[in-house]
Amino acid sequence: MADEDGEQTRRADVRDTYDRIATHFASTREYAWPEVEAFVGEHTDHSADGVGLDLGCGNCRHAELLADAGLESVLGVDVSRGLLETGRDRATDRGFDVALCQADAASLPLAADSVAVGVYVATLHHLPTRETRVASLDELARVLAPGARALVSAWSTAHDRFDETDGFDTTVEWTLPGGTTVDRFYHIYAPEEFERDLLESNLEIREWELSSGNCYATVAGSSE
Amino acid sequence: MKESLLEILRCPLDKSELELEDAEYADDGEEVVSGTLVCTECGEEYPIEDGIPNLLPPDMREETPA
Repeated sequence: MADEDGEQTRRADVRDTYDRIATHFASTREYAWPEVEAFVGEHTDHSADGVGLDLGCGNCRHAELLADAGLESVLGVDVSRGLLETGRDRATDRGFDVALCQADAASLPLAADSVAVGVYVATLHHLPTRETRVASLDELARVLAPGARALVSAWSTAHDRFDETDGFDTTVEWTLPGGTTVDRFYHIYAPEEFERDLLESNLEIREWELSSGNCYATVAGSSE
Repeated sequence: MKESLLEILRCPLDKSELELEDAEYADDGEEVVSGTLVCTECGEEYPIEDGIPNLLPPDMREETPA
């Protein structure tokens, strides 16, 4: 029971951390990642009727890509209320439509088979235990419709800043204007460990690659 | 949030449908500004605050002092 309580505290910590740094963090996350642009370009052609999901949407820079791709609707989900508000501001400033919802990636408040295209980018590595990370992959599998694809990414030991070859837990400081630092939890994935967690989940791997120190996988849900 | 979002939103605990209660709408009549989403199965209540539904599981919802 103590372990369970500890985990809940740490999951809430991620929310509190991003609430605290939301405005500054969002201001430094202006541009979409090219890997996500390529994925959205490839997988939105036949999905115009469906819902696009940006899981761990932050300031909605990738929700914006989905909205611009012409999906019927786009939903941005994040654990941090502060980040969701930066996403709403971006949508207003740039004139795209996104529905927003505060939620936990490991217990998604979405119907099965409700998502046509998903991006789950740079978020998985913030979940504090392997159990919750695999649970979140299972949740993504549950909500993806038959034929739907999602892009999952996580920070990896292949990045230049890490010497380690095995996956490990760490904290990475965020420095606010004025110099205050805030610790953020990360699980840095070894590439083979990333693949193992995907295989253990209900997702089906369609493609995966290393790019810019991140693991990327294109996945299908459990309805196929 | 728009009421049509209820088509895909579910209770994070048991994935059952949610009902909107005590809704207040923006001037356009479409945007739900505040209200409560209630699970039709377990009865758990989730708040909509300033237009954004908070569907965190109850044990992650509490405000933590900064």
